[in-house]
Amino acid sequence: MASDDSAQKPLPAPDADTTTFWRGLREGKLLLQHCRQCRNAQYYQQATCRECGSDELEHKSATGRGKVHSFSVVYRAPGPAFKADVPYAVLLVELAEGPRMISTLTGSDPEDVTFDMEVELAFDQVSDDIALPRFRKA
Amino acid sequence: MSDTSLRGKVAVIGIGLSAVGKVPGRSPLSLAAEAARNALADAGVAKSEVDGVLSSHAFASPFHRFSVAFSEYFGIRPTFSNTLQVSGATAATMFSIGAAAIHGGLAKVVLLVAADSLMTGLTPDLALRSLTESRDQQYEMPFGIPVANTFAMTAHRHMREFGTTPEQLAEVAVVHRRHAAQTPGAQQTTPITVADVLNSPMVTTPYHKLDCSLISDGGAAFVLTSAEHAKALGIGRPIYILGCGECYTHEHIFLMPSLTSTGAVESSRRAYAMAGYRPSDMEVAGIYDCFTGTVVMMLEDLGFCRKGEGGPFVADGQISYRGQIPSNTHGGLLSFAHSGMPGALFHFHEVIAQLRGQCGERQVESAGLGLVHSLGAGFATNATTILGTEGTL
Repeated sequence: MASDDSAQKPLPAPDADTTTFWRGLREGKLLLQHCRQCRNAQYYQQATCRECGSDELEHKSATGRGKVHSFSVVYRAPGPAFKADVPYAVLLVELAEGPRMISTLTGSDPEDVTFDMEVELAFDQVSDDIALPRFRKA
Repeated sequence: MSDTSLRGKVAVIGIGLSAVGKVPGRSPLSLAAEAARNALADAGVAKSEVDGVLSSHAFASPFHRFSVAFSEYFGIRPTFSNTLQVSGATAATMFSIGAAAIHGGLAKVVLLVAADSLMTGLTPDLALRSLTESRDQQYEMPFGIPVANTFAMTAHRHMREFGTTPEQLAEVAVVHRRHAAQTPGAQQTTPITVADVLNSPMVTTPYHKLDCSLISDGGAAFVLTSAEHAKALGIGRPIYILGCGECYTHEHIFLMPSLTSTGAVESSRRAYAMAGYRPSDMEVAGIYDCFTGTVVMMLEDLGFCRKGEGGPFVADGQISYRGQIPSNTHGGLLSFAHSGMPGALFHFHEVIAQLRGQCGERQVESAGLGLVHSLGAGFATNATTILGTEGTL
């Protein structure tokens, strides 16, 4: 069932796997996990490498640069909390380091987004504890 | 084929629907019970003979163990049961797990049943929010991603890579509506044109309102038993499970290996291999059509046309009567009904009815082999089932 406080945007609740990631964002860094064993770089945060299973993971700051692999501009909000924001562009960004992530565009017209558009990270402090990683046109 | 293969070992001996579409005042359990009653009557089997029940979760029901709650509601005490959850692909897994349970001796007569009340029990707004909130709480939900959005991004990328056009996507909706017009009880039967689809409000690019499936109430049920027991019961037209395959490639859309090639390639490869048939042997299909672009991509991944040619294939009339693979002849999720998890069960119901020759004016002539593909969660889950008449064993 849907939650009752539908006018509130959902905020991530960091868990044991992800505390470091969200602390990094608060400090202005998008952390990727790099595996010391197989060199795999991964997004999102977890206890082990998804490729080789090693738990020797090291957090490194991403450059924050990437390009739009795909996108979709939302005209019908998924709930009351997002109604005032439409239209907004949801981006599937391919980071320079390789991993892809989901985010939204900030700072320019969502209808101008194109495939392979160069983007860069923009931190959006949405609460005392949480900064969301959004992207702006580079 | 090895002795452990499920090919032809289990037959569908009963099929049934509840009232479908906008059905106010009915709980998911009540709709499930109606579908189950109809399926058992169709099989000529008493509910006391059912010893297995498989079901899926219902958004409008408070029961987490839906199959257990259903059994109590329906007045049966099965000795094999589960409530399965792999999103839209659950329907197919009900068939494969039910068949495996029968073949492995865990149950003799398995009832597959699912129903939901998304339209009137939950309301469309709450249904969409429930689906949205089933996504990742940390990495997806904070960005306001509608359920259509992940599918939209795959379709968008498909357009980019292969030149698929909005008009070709719209044609999928047009064909489905035409099919639904011949289906008693279909939720949307008013004819639409490509222009109607393109002029309907944009939901999330490239999907307009009419590129998106419906929100409905309703359920379906099926009775499975072994091929031997089906014969002993004197079932007139058993439909056999010939092949099944599944594939799970990711959970998060950002970890989908390719936006334009899905787990359906592997799930269907496995199903064809078990059945011993090829895509070109299929005479009727049920293809999960949560969005128009989904059908285009599945036609490619299921092997009905080459990668990138799904759009022209549809525009060329290949998914309707006299086309290469008549698909979703009931109208699909786009025009017949989409009540959530049971959605793909309607595809099973239609393909089995087609194979039995029961579809009246929408009958595909002498169809003996059919394929159903169900999928969910932005292509995270894929499952293919191949069904056939006695003559295809």
